[in-house]
Amino acid sequence: MIERVRGLSRAAPILLIVALAIAGQAPDVGWLRAATTDSEGAERMTSVLDALADEPLVLIGFDPDVGTYAEIRPTVRALLADLLARDGRLAFVSLTAEGRALASAEIARLGRGEANPTRLLDLGFIPGAEAGLVALTGDIRVDEGDDGVLAREVEGAGIAAVDAILVIGGIDLGPRSWVEQVIPRITEVPLLAVTPTVLLPEVQPYLVGGQLAAGLITPRDGAAYRQVLELGNLERLVEPIEPRQLPILVGMLIAVAVLGQALASRTLAHVRSAGSRSVG
Amino acid sequence: MSGFFGTGMADTVGIWIAAIVTLIVLGALLGERRLFGWSQHLLAGLATGFLALIALTEVIGPRLLQPLVVNSTGRPELWAGVALVAAAAGAPWLPRQLSIIPASIAIGALAAFALGGAVIGTLLPQIDASIVRPGGSVATMVAGASAVVVTVLVLIGFLHGRPRGRVLSSVAGAGRWLLIGGLGGWLGFLIVSRLILLVDRIGFLAGDWLGLGR
Repeated sequence: MIERVRGLSRAAPILLIVALAIAGQAPDVGWLRAATTDSEGAERMTSVLDALADEPLVLIGFDPDVGTYAEIRPTVRALLADLLARDGRLAFVSLTAEGRALASAEIARLGRGEANPTRLLDLGFIPGAEAGLVALTGDIRVDEGDDGVLAREVEGAGIAAVDAILVIGGIDLGPRSWVEQVIPRITEVPLLAVTPTVLLPEVQPYLVGGQLAAGLITPRDGAAYRQVLELGNLERLVEPIEPRQLPILVGMLIAVAVLGQALASRTLAHVRSAGSRSVG
Repeated sequence: MSGFFGTGMADTVGIWIAAIVTLIVLGALLGERRLFGWSQHLLAGLATGFLALIALTEVIGPRLLQPLVVNSTGRPELWAGVALVAAAAGAPWLPRQLSIIPASIAIGALAAFALGGAVIGTLLPQIDASIVRPGGSVATMVAGASAVVVTVLVLIGFLHGRPRGRVLSSVAGAGRWLLIGGLGGWLGFLIVSRLILLVDRIGFLAGDWLGLGR
């Protein structure tokens, strides 16, 4: 019996992966949808984007981390496509190495998707984290080889040329750093954010307090935002398949079951030891 | 489909390498630790190499050396930068008093900016936003008051090693429980993120590698 339990516990991780793989390939379940029609986060994001100037220049602080990027990737790609569909001009900057790697990959992906290259500017990596953000409010350095109109505008006017800032955040560097270091040093520029759910406790006070103009923080926010997008021929820049919800639900149920099993066995051990003490 | 790969030969090779390393990492769940250790070394090596590449091509080259080559006398602060880079690179061989200077400046600057930013950018605006003002909605007042109460309780929970009365001990205990509750919620969010990452990796194997669902 004990051997069987041991064997089962050794096989549990692989059973989890098999269960998630099967759930990932199973047909969509109609009632299981992440998108809601009344997402405040999605509505706020859309209204802030609607209020931007024509051909807005958006500075994108691209610093997600590889451990959480999978969660926000569909939303990030949809938002970039939405900005381009609104004739936005996007300037990417990263302050973490992981963010720089992912920014390079996404810019390359936009290139493969034939996004208008005159609307994209890669400002590269800025060292120094918080100090780097402060330096960014002074002047923005553009690669000398880049002599496009967008590059010259950003180099000439610096952060004053920016109509909005979009922070793609991660655990290392997220909206908090931008709120603390950049917003107090610049004039009114809306700060937008896309972050994984794990940053919700950190970001929510900024959203409620108005320091963040809008944010897509949870998978539900992201799904609701993606649902209302009309991108025309830029649909090619978003992920072709929406993230499946069934494997997430299965995984969460398994996690709850594991937690319940641990609690139950702990309670059982406690009851047994109390019983043996009373017998003794 | 992760969308990180194109259709070229290099992309196909990249998909295969990524798939093999993903399988090796998942294989650790079945007890295969030797290959998993190798993959950890690979990750550490790649990360270090990438960091070095960024430092050289995006920081030291264009921001330090190129300006010096163009104008070697006009920007004296860059020479200080060169000295700091040299001190950091030669840290293993230099006297400790010298080698700690770059790290000290980095840590000091980080602490100064982080502390100042936390007070000006977070603490003061958030206190202002939490103040319960008359005339607001009931929900806003309750939320503001709750935020103040929770903040005070958790701060009191950090009072270690001070003489306490019975009331203060109870309040500190409540603060610590609230803190633990907050950490529990944060870990719950983290599980969601990690679960999505695992599902995404399985999706990568099925979609990008095996071509299922394309």
